[in-house]
Amino acid sequence: MFGKLYKWVDSRTGIQDSLEEALYENIPGGAKWRYVSGSMLVFAFMTQAITGIFLWMNYSAGSQNAWASVYYITYNMEGGALLRGIHHVMAQAMVVLLPIHILQVVIEKAYVKPREFNWWLGLVLMKITLALGLTGYLLPWDQKGYWATKVATELAALPPIVGGYIQKIVVGGNEYGHFTLTRFFALHAGVLPGLLVGFLVLHLAMFRKHGITAHSSEKRADQMFWPMQVLKDGVACALLFGLVVYVAIIHPAELGPPAEPTEPYGAARPEWYFLFLFQMLKYFDGSMGWNNEFVGAIVFPGVVFGFMFLMPFIARIKVGHAFNVLLIAALVGGAGYLTYEAHMEDNYNIYNEEDVDSAAYKKAAKYHAEVERADTEFRLIQELVEDYGIPLEGPLALQQRDPYTMGVRLFRRQCASCHAYNATGENAHLAIAGPEIDPNAEGPMGAPDLYGFGSPVWIQGLLNGEEGGITSPKYFGNTSHVEGEMVAHVRDTMWAEAETDEDKAVLKETIEQVSWALAAEAKLPYLDYAGNQDKIESGINHLNDDTLGCVGCHNYKENEFGYVFTLDHYASSEWLTTMISNPNEVYSEDWGTANDRMPAFHSDATKLLTQDEIELLVRFLRQDRTLLGDTPESVEPLQSEAPAEEAETAEVTETTETPAPAESEEDTDETPVDTTQEAIEEESAEEAEEATEE
Amino acid sequence: MSETKISTAKESRRGFFGSFSAWLAAAVGAVIGVGPVCVGLYTFIMEPLRKKQMPRKERDGGSSDPGFFRVASVDEIATDVPRRFTIVADKLDAWNFMKDQALGAVYLQKNEAGDISCYHTTCPHAGCSVAYEQDSNAYHCPCHNSSFNLDGSKLENGGSTNPSPRPLDTLEIKVDEATNTVFVKYEDYYTGRHDKVAK
Repeated sequence: MFGKLYKWVDSRTGIQDSLEEALYENIPGGAKWRYVSGSMLVFAFMTQAITGIFLWMNYSAGSQNAWASVYYITYNMEGGALLRGIHHVMAQAMVVLLPIHILQVVIEKAYVKPREFNWWLGLVLMKITLALGLTGYLLPWDQKGYWATKVATELAALPPIVGGYIQKIVVGGNEYGHFTLTRFFALHAGVLPGLLVGFLVLHLAMFRKHGITAHSSEKRADQMFWPMQVLKDGVACALLFGLVVYVAIIHPAELGPPAEPTEPYGAARPEWYFLFLFQMLKYFDGSMGWNNEFVGAIVFPGVVFGFMFLMPFIARIKVGHAFNVLLIAALVGGAGYLTYEAHMEDNYNIYNEEDVDSAAYKKAAKYHAEVERADTEFRLIQELVEDYGIPLEGPLALQQRDPYTMGVRLFRRQCASCHAYNATGENAHLAIAGPEIDPNAEGPMGAPDLYGFGSPVWIQGLLNGEEGGITSPKYFGNTSHVEGEMVAHVRDTMWAEAETDEDKAVLKETIEQVSWALAAEAKLPYLDYAGNQDKIESGINHLNDDTLGCVGCHNYKENEFGYVFTLDHYASSEWLTTMISNPNEVYSEDWGTANDRMPAFHSDATKLLTQDEIELLVRFLRQDRTLLGDTPESVEPLQSEAPAEEAETAEVTETTETPAPAESEEDTDETPVDTTQEAIEEESAEEAEEATEE
Repeated sequence: MSETKISTAKESRRGFFGSFSAWLAAAVGAVIGVGPVCVGLYTFIMEPLRKKQMPRKERDGGSSDPGFFRVASVDEIATDVPRRFTIVADKLDAWNFMKDQALGAVYLQKNEAGDISCYHTTCPHAGCSVAYEQDSNAYHCPCHNSSFNLDGSKLENGGSTNPSPRPLDTLEIKVDEATNTVFVKYEDYYTGRHDKVAK
């Protein structure tokens, strides 16, 4: 039955002849495992084409959608991570197989007369494969791909006269944008694979015309391509596929945070197989007079490629072939060495743990810090995407409302040259290295560490006159306040007077209570005010009774005779906003030296930060991740004795709070309304008015 | 194995599947050929069938009764004249989440007794959008001449054919007496069938 059907088909299609034509190729000396590299490359490309088309069914080019769709493929789509993983890993496998194939061809002398054209076709195929790798790297539109590809397209502008035009044509204009993606995508998924198929057909046709280079030997019989070589090729490809799937599962393809043109990524590196080119650029010193970056990036690789092109002719002269073998070996070895060197440079801090002070260590450490920062930023946007979905405007619109991502970025940009943010525990990923403060040096920088600013722990440290307390760089850094009245009071009065351990214990308890009373002014969303009512109330009494001597200088509630800034609303949203916008508004005027060096970030005179940016920073410092544009949940630290009229207000608050999901802060549930809240709001409104008037 | 090369070559030409290794080669070839396709096809087929989840903080949209959407207040619905209302709800489109998007539309009308009826605007024939026309006091489809009476039943329009396989689709409604609000259980139905089957 099958035989009859086969004959019927064959008589009309000639399938038998075609198959024989395709598969009955004589292999002198018989099938060998070392002939598999070419077939493996073809298989790798087929895999790329297939997985690529399926990725295409879910990918959307364009700067609002590209990252979002790749995120969706990787994290939402059933099997999407594996699909993208295979595509990602197989691309690298292809680049590994390429030099193996080339080395083999050169060593076995398969590039010389009469196979010149096939050698050249192979070189073209290599270029196309590398171009596919380059164009594919940009498509996820994440920070890594964006900034790494940017370097590559900057290089496109290097050739004299035409360079600028080439770059504009590749990028689709002056700047990266929709057209960069649409063009790269068309190249990656259309033009380049099309060219690759075309050249591959020619490459194979040429290969068949000249046959296999090997010669028949007496020891082993010749064999046909079918079935033994096909079997060997098939087994090799199956192993390759298995390996690729395995790697794709244990090392899934990464996705960084979405590309943000205004936030440079300090760890931009090309895909590892371009690292040798990346590394090579470092050797072309910029002071050499002529345009040596052009030489390093284009002329030198061009010359090398030219040599490779001429290799069939070089082989004709005496020892030419030996030269070619050496050249290819040197190229592969050299590229390998440069890759190794690039790797060692970026990981210097890991391989040389002791050499902490060297520039190389610091540079590598910085690189790793940037990689880590990208990981953190990705996790932050991932949390947002899972909570809110991606808006039509794209992931950046969501990210730019996030006090955590933007807080870290803005803090690094504007604050970290003086302030540190040594986040610990579950917030450790948000830590920002500030200046390293040497307490003995009269350095120009060094202001308080702002992690946990306004919290009881932070204030307890500030009021601690012993080692690690107010005199440590964590608080006044290298500002003039190190020698100021506050330090003098805490160290020389408060703590000097506490002589016995008993005294100190009492002092510590008082400080803890006062710290909670002050933290109540801050209304921080992460604090358990409800569970610390006693401390807050005792603290307020201490402050009013001036147990620690605070209200001698500071104002606090009814104590209005202080001459430095008031403790009312200390570290609250409004306070921080004013402090960042214009610190001189926080300090009372007659205390001339109060603001040592902090600039105004948003005043009539300067606009270093926009109001939105200040809002983001304030929320970040208060560890309040309410997105910009949303209203933070109100925090009422002090449970009042709730007079009868309060009851109604309390009910209203409760009903508005009902949809609060389980993940929200535990301590917000039981916060009833503070009697003084309205009064405080009025006051702050008045202050704000005053501020604007000034 | 044969003794000379030439005979080997000729022998293997005799039968395409003449040896065990030939079958093995074909099998291995088939497996690696379909490997990548299988992974791709899996994502291609499974993705549209997968149940989508709204973002964590936007789930349920505050409605206690899933599937019901607020469309209008009772007072907005006219007596004996259908009025078109848009269904507005949060929408998930692959990776994008959008609040308050128009998902579709319904016709609402009241009778003298105050009973409210609700019709899907999608024609059961081939999915075009029907419209109420005042002149004929009926629903007409702009595509293939399907027409419906105000009660949703097919209109006998004198001689010309009415290709709709079933009356206009009705939708379940709920009236919240406290707020005087009408909720519609909005869903789409397969077109071209005699029975009304939800998608």
